[in-house]
Amino acid sequence: MLNYFDPKQPDSGQPHNGFDPSLFERDLGTPARTSTKAVALTIDGFEISVPEGTSVMRAAALAGITVPKLCATDNMEAFGSCRLCAVEIEGRRGYPASCTTPVTEGMSVTTQNGKLAKLRRNIMELYISDHPLDCLTCPANGDCELQDMAGAVGLREVRYGYEGANHLDAKIDDSNPYFSFDPSKCIVCSRCVRACGEVQGTFALTIDGRGFGSMVSAGQNEPFMDSECVSCGACVQACPTSTLMEKSVIEEGVPEHSVVTTCAYCGVGCSFEAQMKGDKLIRMVPYKGGDANHGHSCVKGRFAFGYATHKDRIREPMIRDSIDQPWRAVSWEEALEFSAKRLKGIQETYGRDSVGGITSSRCTNEETYLVQKLIRAAFGNNNTDTCARVCHSPTGYGLKTTLGESAGTQTFDSVMKADAILVIGANPTDAHPVFASMMKRRLREGAELIVADPRRIDLLKTPHAEKGLHLALKPGTNVALVNALAHVVITEGLEDKAFVAERCDTEGYQKWRTFIQEARHAPEVSEAETGVPAALVRTAARRYATAGNGAIYYGLGVTEHSQGSTTVMAIANLAMATGNIGREGVGVNPLRGQNNVQGSCDMGSFPHELPGYQHVANTEVRERFESVWNAKLDDEPGLRIPNMFDAAVAGTFKGLYVQGEDIAQSDPNTQHVEAALSALDCLIVQDIFLNETAKFAHVLLPGATFLEKNGTFTNAERRINRVRRVMPPVAGKEDWEVTQALSNALGYPMNYSHPSEIMDEIAQLTPTFTGVNYQRLEELGSIQWPCNDDNPIGTPTMHGVDFPIGKGHFAITEYVATEERTNRRYPLLLTTGRILSQYNVGAQTRRTANSEWHEEDVLEIHPVDAEDRGLKDGDWLGIRSRVGHTVLRCRVSDRMAPGVVYTTFHHPGSGANVITTDNSDWATNCPEYKVTAVQVEKVSQPSDWQQRFQQFDEQQQRYLERADESEGMTIK
Amino acid sequence: MNEVDVLVKMINQISINNRHHGEDAAAAEEVAHHLKKFWARRMKQQIIEYAEQGGADLNDVSKLAVARLKALSDEVESWPQTSDAG
Repeated sequence: MLNYFDPKQPDSGQPHNGFDPSLFERDLGTPARTSTKAVALTIDGFEISVPEGTSVMRAAALAGITVPKLCATDNMEAFGSCRLCAVEIEGRRGYPASCTTPVTEGMSVTTQNGKLAKLRRNIMELYISDHPLDCLTCPANGDCELQDMAGAVGLREVRYGYEGANHLDAKIDDSNPYFSFDPSKCIVCSRCVRACGEVQGTFALTIDGRGFGSMVSAGQNEPFMDSECVSCGACVQACPTSTLMEKSVIEEGVPEHSVVTTCAYCGVGCSFEAQMKGDKLIRMVPYKGGDANHGHSCVKGRFAFGYATHKDRIREPMIRDSIDQPWRAVSWEEALEFSAKRLKGIQETYGRDSVGGITSSRCTNEETYLVQKLIRAAFGNNNTDTCARVCHSPTGYGLKTTLGESAGTQTFDSVMKADAILVIGANPTDAHPVFASMMKRRLREGAELIVADPRRIDLLKTPHAEKGLHLALKPGTNVALVNALAHVVITEGLEDKAFVAERCDTEGYQKWRTFIQEARHAPEVSEAETGVPAALVRTAARRYATAGNGAIYYGLGVTEHSQGSTTVMAIANLAMATGNIGREGVGVNPLRGQNNVQGSCDMGSFPHELPGYQHVANTEVRERFESVWNAKLDDEPGLRIPNMFDAAVAGTFKGLYVQGEDIAQSDPNTQHVEAALSALDCLIVQDIFLNETAKFAHVLLPGATFLEKNGTFTNAERRINRVRRVMPPVAGKEDWEVTQALSNALGYPMNYSHPSEIMDEIAQLTPTFTGVNYQRLEELGSIQWPCNDDNPIGTPTMHGVDFPIGKGHFAITEYVATEERTNRRYPLLLTTGRILSQYNVGAQTRRTANSEWHEEDVLEIHPVDAEDRGLKDGDWLGIRSRVGHTVLRCRVSDRMAPGVVYTTFHHPGSGANVITTDNSDWATNCPEYKVTAVQVEKVSQPSDWQQRFQQFDEQQQRYLERADESEGMTIK
Repeated sequence: MNEVDVLVKMINQISINNRHHGEDAAAAEEVAHHLKKFWARRMKQQIIEYAEQGGADLNDVSKLAVARLKALSDEVESWPQTSDAG
């Protein structure tokens, strides 16, 4: 008897001992069930036992028996429309559909006999009578379930003829840049409609009409691009025919091999099958065996990979003496020697601390580790930082102080057990879309939603779950709001006393309790500050505290403030006080921006911490590293990015090595950053494009995309996932190889032959990684750290028994208003964010068809503020802050409260960061991107900065184009 | 703003966010440890020098904190020779 245990059931969330890829190669027809009660039955004489609630179809598939099917697929609920999966069940009348029939104890099923074969052939005959017979020239040829089923049922003739009414002339919708919709091939199985609803949660598709006239329709019978469709690709993946088909497959044909790897966009870290023809990537298909995404994707990871082969890629190393000279293409050796010579020269003249580096949150763990190792061991200082400085550094500080570990506490799957979901300063549908789909699924199942955000984010419009509370707070008042929530919890007696008594530090708790009970934290008082009605705050606090499992998700709307760290601690306090820590369905969950921002922090990118968050002043730790690295390490922290800029302007910091980060576009107060970069004697930029930072560089080292390298990324749930090389790097080197070569040129030897060797060194030096290696990653699929002797297969949910610091620590979270205030000159508050189709600085997505959704950044302004200023959609707006001025186009929108304006920063020419200030988080210097006081007025031309930017950009592009023509130039 | 102005702004902000530790001295202790843990050698040096020259723009907690930082840093003496020519 086959006893079946499925270790990867989507919502089991339990750690698993082994990973069997073969489980995900077949479509088992209907989703897994999680019941612990087993039901035994017989299928075609084979005995099998499966969890209660499993369909007959899935049970058969698990027993190795394939029942023909068209409308069923295992990532959505059974629908029972095609009837092809009919079976016979002993003692039952007729031919029930095996997809919609649950197993019962002792059931005896027959999947194949003469009657069933005839029935299936008749069904297929009807389907094919209204389907074009162009299989040989069809893009799905060889990859078509309809074709497979026609073969499986032995269809040999269509007796109805093809002359009658049919859909063969239906018009193709080519509006989406990535896939086409050809309704003539459609069999109306509804898989696309169900995928859009169940999997993605957008409900953009429907079946229009009835009977013979039934057609799949996007929106209100609109082209896909004009509908609500978010181009996640779930429908394309679900389609059993070529009705919904990737244009790349239409153009290139069906891929011939595939490699499982990890997406390099956001912190969700989806697993994808990179489907290839030779070394050409044809399509990215979300991998069902991926623990973060379970076979779902978004428009970026699924489709926006064309940047990897874009003509703008930097293909060879380049150097120049100063930034007003053209580039000169040189060999790797020459570029690296030039770099090493300059860096050494600077250190001789200005001292050991006059150089530093920035690790990338886009590169792999191994690459990030190597860059900080280069800085600490070869440069001999701790001047290393990473872009987490400008996004989640307060998360590191705040969670380490309160919970004892600088990371989120849960798996993504945990949200499926949450009863109340509190989202603070995050916009998951745009910034973490695949996780948002799971969250929306849970909301449709009835979980409560509370959103604290100045803007009415799309999550509040989740179809079939639109009752969320929206706490539309004034930007900059997060601490006041979270304190008010905690005040309600404590004063209304909603705290989890048993949890606090057992798990938290009593003295700290009592101090905090006294503090938070003070009347000034009451929602009725803080309403004046936050703008959120007290009654709403009370309702929200009660919902979160009493729903059962309360889970908090937060993003950069929490961290990018002058009190970012304080808000993170306030969130941790709230979770501990209500006992919402240490099990599934609860927790404190930072939604990480970049694919490997968790990893870059883990890998010791911060100037004060070695890998694994071990402080540089700790002698025992330092000695361990010194013995393995064979180098003397500095015991004082190095400079953070903003301090590097200040020191550069002051003339004491002269050399910088930047791997895969565009500080000139992404960091605040652009003009200050530009001044700092211009003051450097040696700026080495390693990137895939000539980004904004590279325009100030002296050395340009070609980077490799995630498709061109081996390594690992760590996502927001601490999950270490393999990145696998599918094509060769355009300039011949993976990024870790470049760092290694630079180190060798500097005279500090590095001799790794594969990233797995770097991971072995990481495991040797990092207590939370001791059980991690590439072999183990193959065996387990992915690993959530900590993974060591105590947690040999990783740790999905943290803090289950105790905290790394023993008892949880309640921090006092006094609200201190930001210095960035509105007045008569600057009466509006600007806040910034992302949209779905573009990613961060846009270097990648702007070089794909994703720009069809978002060609430029616009300023969203409330109708009242627009009317006061006589503004309408499409007007050019001058936006002036205390530090700068830029011009954007106007979009009137009531998603913000009056007094708040909003923009994105995906295009460099927008200059969104020309106006953001250098105010920052008190503890970590994470910039206060989310609050800038501005004035807005109608203008007729770009700002001075934008005009200068355009000239500078054109000049630098010319220098790049002339790289090959300038061979004769001498470089000192 | 020049480099030292930035540091003054930073330390004052840290002080304001740590005032809840009660007495100024207790808050200053927290601030001093924060600086010790997170600030680069040169930044510590610069703020100590600034305080020694009167520290005009330092708030009360910051002043106490810099004094405490100096006491905490036994290594102060050995700073300049090894690392920073600038």
